[in-house]
Amino acid sequence: MYRFFAILERDLRKFIRNPLVVAMSLLMPIIYLVILGNSFQGELKRLPLAVVDLDRGPHADRVMELLRTIEAGPATLEVSLLSDQGFAMQGLREGLFKGVLIIPGDFSRNVIRRTTAELGLYLDNAETISAGTVRASIASALPELGDEFISIREERTQTRLRDIEIYRKIDYDQTLIPGVVIMAIFLGAMTTGAFNMVMDKFLGVEESYFLTPLTKRDIVMGLIASGLLITTILALIVLLVGSLISGLYIWELMTPVSFVLLVIIIILSTLGLQGLMFIIMGRIDHPRIVGVLGGFLNVILFFPSGAIYPIESFPGWLKAFAWVNPETYSVHAMRALLFKGAGVQAVEADIVFLSIFAVVAVALGLVTFKRAL
Amino acid sequence: MNAIEIKDLVKKYGELTAVDGVSLEIPEGDFFGLLGPNGAGKTTLIRILTTLLKPTSGQARVLGNDVVADPAAVRNVIGVVPQAMTSDLDLTGFETMDIYSRFYDLPKKERRERIDELLSMVGLKERSGDLVATYSGGMRRRLEIARGLVHKPAILILDEPTIGLDPQSRHVVWELLDKFRKGDRLTILLTTHYMEEAESLCDHVAIIDYGRIVALDTVPGLKKAIPQKDVVELTVAGVDMEKAVERAKSLPKVTSAAYKDDSILVSSDHGAEIIPEVVEALRGMGARVTRVTLKEQTLEDVFIHYTGRPIREEEAKKVSFLLGAGVPTKWGR
Repeated sequence: MYRFFAILERDLRKFIRNPLVVAMSLLMPIIYLVILGNSFQGELKRLPLAVVDLDRGPHADRVMELLRTIEAGPATLEVSLLSDQGFAMQGLREGLFKGVLIIPGDFSRNVIRRTTAELGLYLDNAETISAGTVRASIASALPELGDEFISIREERTQTRLRDIEIYRKIDYDQTLIPGVVIMAIFLGAMTTGAFNMVMDKFLGVEESYFLTPLTKRDIVMGLIASGLLITTILALIVLLVGSLISGLYIWELMTPVSFVLLVIIIILSTLGLQGLMFIIMGRIDHPRIVGVLGGFLNVILFFPSGAIYPIESFPGWLKAFAWVNPETYSVHAMRALLFKGAGVQAVEADIVFLSIFAVVAVALGLVTFKRAL
Repeated sequence: MNAIEIKDLVKKYGELTAVDGVSLEIPEGDFFGLLGPNGAGKTTLIRILTTLLKPTSGQARVLGNDVVADPAAVRNVIGVVPQAMTSDLDLTGFETMDIYSRFYDLPKKERRERIDELLSMVGLKERSGDLVATYSGGMRRRLEIARGLVHKPAILILDEPTIGLDPQSRHVVWELLDKFRKGDRLTILLTTHYMEEAESLCDHVAIIDYGRIVALDTVPGLKKAIPQKDVVELTVAGVDMEKAVERAKSLPKVTSAAYKDDSILVSSDHGAEIIPEVVEALRGMGARVTRVTLKEQTLEDVFIHYTGRPIREEEAKKVSFLLGAGVPTKWGR
């Protein structure tokens, strides 16, 4: 025990003497939250749409009116009325417009005759997200064409009211929080524990430790314990700061029980990842390799965890990987605990999986680590 | 009892035989030097003795404990100062000592006293609260020597302890080792490729080359065994050189003499002792002696005699195809 605590103390001292590492470990997940939250969780605004009106009849005007209300209200679209179809199509190809809506010459006549009235919509399908938004926004507006004027207006007024705000509300997606916490855990596991061992090997310091009565277990357990302590604290700080930034007041949402469970989830996830790092880095003696592996591991563990996009959308092979990915279970459990204030029952399966993963990973990590030069 | 016993020890790295059938006995309390050129197998031998490497064949015992069968027992009785600087830069001198002493389960009170004592002995008491990163190379080495002694080992093993140090620091380390030997009755095993170091410190010296021990004796014993002797060189004028050489040869204690240009070279087993007699004899012949230099026989002569060359090119190092030169090759194999 003496020896284990000596190693633990050594690592903690080394860690606090590298404030840059501490700062980066905290900052990076939070930056991730801010950047990710703003870059593809937000609503699309002001997508340029060209309209070519070849009809100029009353119903073509009605279409324009509907589009203008979208422009004035949710501001999803920015409508330009063009006279020349060729020019509009050229603009679409060059990326000036995200879509071109053609109102054919017989549009009003067809509407009045109640025969099939068609509008032509050309979309820039090289950029599917914008294209999808343009299509959805126009499609939702057009059925109103057939309805009575008054009822439509009323309905629209209501929705407008909600959307027009003087200050722009930053729409962080709070569901990113579990992902941000698991990222903090990943980074913590990456920069403590096994990485200290790699650095010791690289600097040639490990030789002097092998010359003492320290056993392999003392070394690995000491490193994992220090990493666990540091990472757990980092993860909790990131959780707190992240929730403050995104306006998710966890103390209002969580019960004491769910908080304790959350800490257990964080500890188990950290242990599992620390063990995993030992398995992967156990025989590595250069930090450059860790740098290369770090980015790679982050991608293959983080994105399939369901932290950003639901697992249900994955193809089969990726789904299969998500099932064995410990981060999937951490994210699932944290989501339940944070947003639903769930109890033991909801996260039982996650705890069981994470425990098994932690035990197996640490055991294999012990096997992988070689107490030799 | 012997502190260290080695029998027919062999260590192979693939094709390369780093240690090639070494047998050695080091008595307790001895200051033993292992002298050899770079790549001779010194570090490999030390690493086997200190349980870091397993031998290919043969046996090694440290205070009766087999290094392969009972490495834990060996680690408890040895203190080691590895060749590379191995102290953590992010810890202070005191923390380094404290953390290491805990690896040996030293009780707290004993620990404090021992650390205090050792740090003052190596002259780092005042700097014990500073990070090792702020230390000079010599200070770091002194700290590592103190660290190696923190658990009062019976044997201190040092692998090239003064490599890369400036001459002053080197002398400080030598003085320290001398002090520790006398104070703690330590058995000390030291490897070096500095003649001066072996000559001034060691009771016994073994010369190792290509993984084999080629000579083993006390320093005077080693010197006696080789043909080269001390040489006195005298620059003279106003005398017939042939006759002067004959006169010098006739003196007692002189083994041979010759001349070269205006210098007479006199060789002897007794070095400086013969200078007055030779000078007097030459003056008696009417010669003016303008310069006298003495080239004493050194361990280097012994070394060159046995190994053939003073310095040897090291084996070409392997550079990883995948990683380039980023991975430092382990020291001194």
